This record gives sequence, C-alpha cells and structure tokens, in this order.
Amino acid sequence: MPVSSFNFYRAYSVARKEVMHVLRDPFTLVLALGLPVMLVTFFGYAIDYEVKNITLAVSDRDGGPAARRLKELFSSSGYFRLVETGPGGPVGMLDSGRAAAALFIKPDFSKTIQGGGAVETQFVLDGSDNAKAGAVIGYLPGIQRAGQARLAGREIREPFSFETRFLYNPELNSRWFTVPGLAAVIIGLLAILLTALTVAREWENGSMELLLSTPVRPLEIMAGKLAPYGVLVLAGVFFVYLVSRLVFGVPFAGSHFLYLAACLLYVTASLSQGLFISVVTRQQQVAMQLGIISGLLPSLLLSGFIFPVESMPPFFRYFTMLLPPRWFMAAARGITLKGADLGELAVPFLALGLLSAGMLLLALKKFKTDLE
Amino acid sequence: MNHAPALEVKGLSIKFGDFTAVDEVSFTVRRGEIFGFLGANGAGKTTTIRILCGLLTPTSGSALVGGLGFEDGGLGIKTIVGYMSQKFTLYNDLTVGENLDFAAGLRKLDPAYAKKRRKELFELIGFHKPLSSRVSQLPGGIKQELALAAAMLHDPEIIFLDEPTSGVAPASRARFWELIRRITGLGKTVIVTTHYMDEAEQCGRIALMRTGRLIALGSPEELKKSAFPGPMAEIDLEGSDPKAFIPGLQKAAGLLELSPHGMRWHAAFSGKAAMDAALSALPAGATSAVIKPSLEDVFIRLVEGVRGGWAARRQAASR
Repeated sequence: MPVSSFNFYRAYSVARKEVMHVLRDPFTLVLALGLPVMLVTFFGYAIDYEVKNITLAVSDRDGGPAARRLKELFSSSGYFRLVETGPGGPVGMLDSGRAAAALFIKPDFSKTIQGGGAVETQFVLDGSDNAKAGAVIGYLPGIQRAGQARLAGREIREPFSFETRFLYNPELNSRWFTVPGLAAVIIGLLAILLTALTVAREWENGSMELLLSTPVRPLEIMAGKLAPYGVLVLAGVFFVYLVSRLVFGVPFAGSHFLYLAACLLYVTASLSQGLFISVVTRQQQVAMQLGIISGLLPSLLLSGFIFPVESMPPFFRYFTMLLPPRWFMAAARGITLKGADLGELAVPFLALGLLSAGMLLLALKKFKTDLE
Repeated sequence: MNHAPALEVKGLSIKFGDFTAVDEVSFTVRRGEIFGFLGANGAGKTTTIRILCGLLTPTSGSALVGGLGFEDGGLGIKTIVGYMSQKFTLYNDLTVGENLDFAAGLRKLDPAYAKKRRKELFELIGFHKPLSSRVSQLPGGIKQELALAAAMLHDPEIIFLDEPTSGVAPASRARFWELIRRITGLGKTVIVTTHYMDEAEQCGRIALMRTGRLIALGSPEELKKSAFPGPMAEIDLEGSDPKAFIPGLQKAAGLLELSPHGMRWHAAFSGKAAMDAALSALPAGATSAVIKPSLEDVFIRLVEGVRGGWAARRQAASR
C-alpha cells in the first residue's frame, strides 16, 4: 500500500466540512462576527482614558481679579467644571463625592501677585480613583504655564522648563493607542475559543472514530481545522482595521505586509493553543471555559493592552514574555503608530515566531500521540 | 483483491498500561462470513475490532486483515476495511450529501466514482430522501443505515460494525440485519458485535469474549452443542414456592446449569436419565418441557460461567 504523506485534498475535505459547521452553527457565527463589532464599539467609544468634566470645588478667600482669572483658566481649559461650594466647604464636597478636586485660593492672592510676589495655591484631589487623579495632575502644568503670564501681566522667565512633545500620537489620543491593540484581543479570544471547540466536538459526537478509521493523517485534520478558523479570525482583524481607519481615523504608519505577518504568526499561535486545549480536554464545555480564560485574560490584562508591561511586578513582567499577545501588541503598536520596520521589531517577531512554532508543535504532537 | 482470509488473527494482545484489554486472541474469518462478537461490556469486543480496523496497534501477536499487517501503521488496512463505530459518526448539522462527500474526501475518492457508489448504496439501503436532507431530521434507523453507507463508500472488502443496532427500534434492527445479509451476499465480510442474542443467532459464527479472552468460537448450533451436551428442561412452577423445590434441584446430580427466565427456570443436565430423576420431584401442578437451548443459555453458561449464577446475570441484564 502506498503511504503518501500530507495530502491537500484530504485537508481540504476537512476544511470544507468545518466551513459547513460554521455556516450552520449560529453560536460560532455570532461569536466570529459579533465579538469584533462589540469590542470595537466598547473600546472605541465607551472607554476613554481622557478625563473630562472634573468637578472642581473652589474656596476663593481672595475674590480679587487674579483669583477670578485663575478660576477662568480652569473652567476654560475644557477639563474642569467649577461647582458652587456648599456647606462644609470644598473638603465636604470631596467627602460627599460632589467634587473630584478642590482649589484653595488664599486671601491675599491677588495682592501678592500684583506686587510681583509668589504665592502658593493648594489643589486637593480625590486620590481614591488613581487613574483619574493621574490624568488630572497631568493637566496642571499646562494650566500653570498658561496662567503665569496672564496673572502676572508680564513675561516670567523660568530657570528652565520642559517642552514636551508626544511622538507617534501627538494628541495622546487614547483611541489611537487602544484600537490597534484590539486585534490582539480579538485574535486571542476568537482563535482560541473557536478551535477549542472543534476537536472536542468530534470526540463528543463520536465522529472522531470516523476520521480515525480513514487514512486521514493527524496533520491533515489539523490543517483542515486551522485554515477556516484562521480565515475567520483574520476577517475579524480586517474589520477592526477598517473601523479603526475609517471611523476612528487611527493612522497606519508602517508596512501592511509586516502587520499581516505579525497577525499570521499570532493567529497560528492562538489557533494552536485552542487546538491543544481541545485535544487535551475532549469536552466542549471544559474546552470553552479554558479557552475563554486562556484567551481573554492574557490578551486583555497581561499583553500591555490596558496596563503597561513595564509597570508590572517583576514576576509578571517576565511571565508575559511567554505570552504571544504581549509580543503581538508590541509589534502591532510599533507598526501602526511608529511605522517600525522588521529590524526594529526583531525581538517581538522572533518571540512571536518561536512561541507560535512551539505551540503548533505542541498541539500537533499531543494530537498525534492521542490518535495513535 | 487477494484471496487471503478476511482475518487471520494469532495470539493478538493489547495492553493499556497494566490492563490487558485483549488477551491472546486467535481466530480466522473466511471471506463472505457474518462473524459475530458476543460478550458483556468491557469484554474486549470493541477493542479487538478497533485493532483490526487499524485504529490501535497490537502489543503482541499478529493479525492479517485481508492479508495486510500493521507495518505501515494500519494505513493499508484502513483502505480496505469499513468501520462503523458504536457512537453515531455522522454529523447531525450537515446534510446527507455533505456527510457522504466528507467521507469520500477523506478517502480521496474520485467524485464521479463517489457519486456512483452513493447511488449503489442508496439502492442497497433503500434511501430515497433528497441529498439535501439534514441528518438530524432523519429517524434513528435510517441514520444508522446512512452511517453504514458512509463506511462503505470506498467499497471495502471487510466491514466492521460495532453494535450497529444499539438504540435502534426493533423493526429497524430487523431491517438492518437484512441489510447485513445482503452485503455478505455481495461477497463482503461482515464482522459485527452485539448485545442482542437474537442478532447473534443470525451470525454464521460467533466468538464469545470474556475479560479480553476468546472463550468459545463456533456457529450458534456448535456453541449450543458444546455448552449443553445433554437435554435442557424449561420448568414452570405454576405458582408453587420456588424455595421448596429450587434448592433441592440445585443439588441434583447431573445438573449443569440452572437459571431463571422470567417466571420460568431453565435447567440443563448431563443426560436424559439425570433430567428424569431430577424432575420426578417436581411439586404438584408444576410442569416441565424439554427445550432447545438458546444462545442466551449458552451465554449464561459460558460467559458468566457460574452454575446457577442468576445474580450475575440479572446484573448484566439491567445494564
């Protein structure tokens, strides 16, 4: 009997059958089409790291022209909304949550400034929400710089000052930062979840016996199962790409080819991870739970998508090196925002390549030994 | 095709860790036979079949399937056998046509040939519904026949059926066995496992298995003769207390086997004289008749292997 190795026709037969399953299964379709839409809407519109409309309670014990101008500076900045101070003073307002920040202007504020002197003004901030507090503190230097000249009525020469310019994302637009990273979450979750179910479903149905009783090779089954889901996931990524470019106006500075290469590597790693889960568990329900956990948590929390990897505790910083989404995130942001080339992204690409090759081999090996 | 026997199995064993699932099994199956495996759950029937389909590699011993061995990892065997497993192997969410196309694709059948085979098989099983019927909407018996068609698409020489009629309505079971006879009529060999005694009666030869071992092999008639050389009586106590008579009968000389069958008892003896002596003590009103032992009696005697072991049998029946 001739023993041919990998046969494309058999792999194609498996792939064609998988496509039929997807077309017939509302859950898979909803997941594949709905998840990218949902995530883009969620992260594109609802989540905005820019903090606006900060309620500011002012205790003005001066009432002079300079104090008035200072208040105008805050309200005209676009970030703050001045609120009337009720009984209990600004601190009471902070306590009760009616204000997020408070400004205390000393009695002789205007007089001192007009006399050319320096005066301290106290700014109190609700620190219980540190993300918000961090953003608010970021606004203060700008207001201070803008205010100094206007309040003193003349140019003030500081010994030195920082002139900050943000490269790649000049306006620090949080969508520019978030939306390119969404591909990492979508690939991670979708690819793992979709493939995690496929092999387990065959075992549960008993149809695995049919596959095994034919001359089909494990590698052919695997290729036939990965290809359709790979296409489905890449379609999701393409959708996110279109929305981020057309709706959110996110720039794409780098090479599309490089971005596709990064996507393919990460997709391979994620699909293999899903397949591995499926082969090991053999049960759809367990596979699904493991798929969600291992697909969502790393890509959402440990990839740098929301929380910077650099500020993680040392253990997690090293741990993330084992996670494909972390490297994909670095590559994706580098390509889209910075226009980085392969030379600059050598480390993420190398890591991604190694991890996806490793994951693929692991899944294949487990699959083969399981079937034989 | 070659003219080697369908199966030539010698000292076949398979171990999973410390557990010996199949233990030194030897038998030969001729071409065109209906060969049945009978045994309780876990007796090793399915494992034996899975080895012979090339799904498992034996630990020791040899097996030639249609003259082919395991040198290529069972790939050659897979091309000449058809296998229908215990579980329903078609995809419920796909149509009949899609399922058969998939089976054909896995075996790299030429589309024109697959179409021709599909027509032949539909004729054979009497399937007249459209190809676009969703499998989930077909009745259980028809599904099973379709699964058989999918397993036979590549025109295999030898067809393995693992409990093909479990969970199928009695009328469909009879139809399925009619189908098996038609298949062997085409010169194919059918190897089948079953729980049902009436199905086992329809096999040309039966292999009885217990805990991985082959304990008896022969036609139903041969098995009955070897298990019960003497006569068998069916005793109906007609309402009198079994406790008054049965314990005495159990001790009777020449009793080979005593087991309850519903309200009646089957008692096998070594000879006619022993039977007459034992039955002379029957209580008033009770009746007895000489019967031909059924395969069920053989199964009880050989597989459960305990004299009067109806507790074990009841357990098996409740499974």
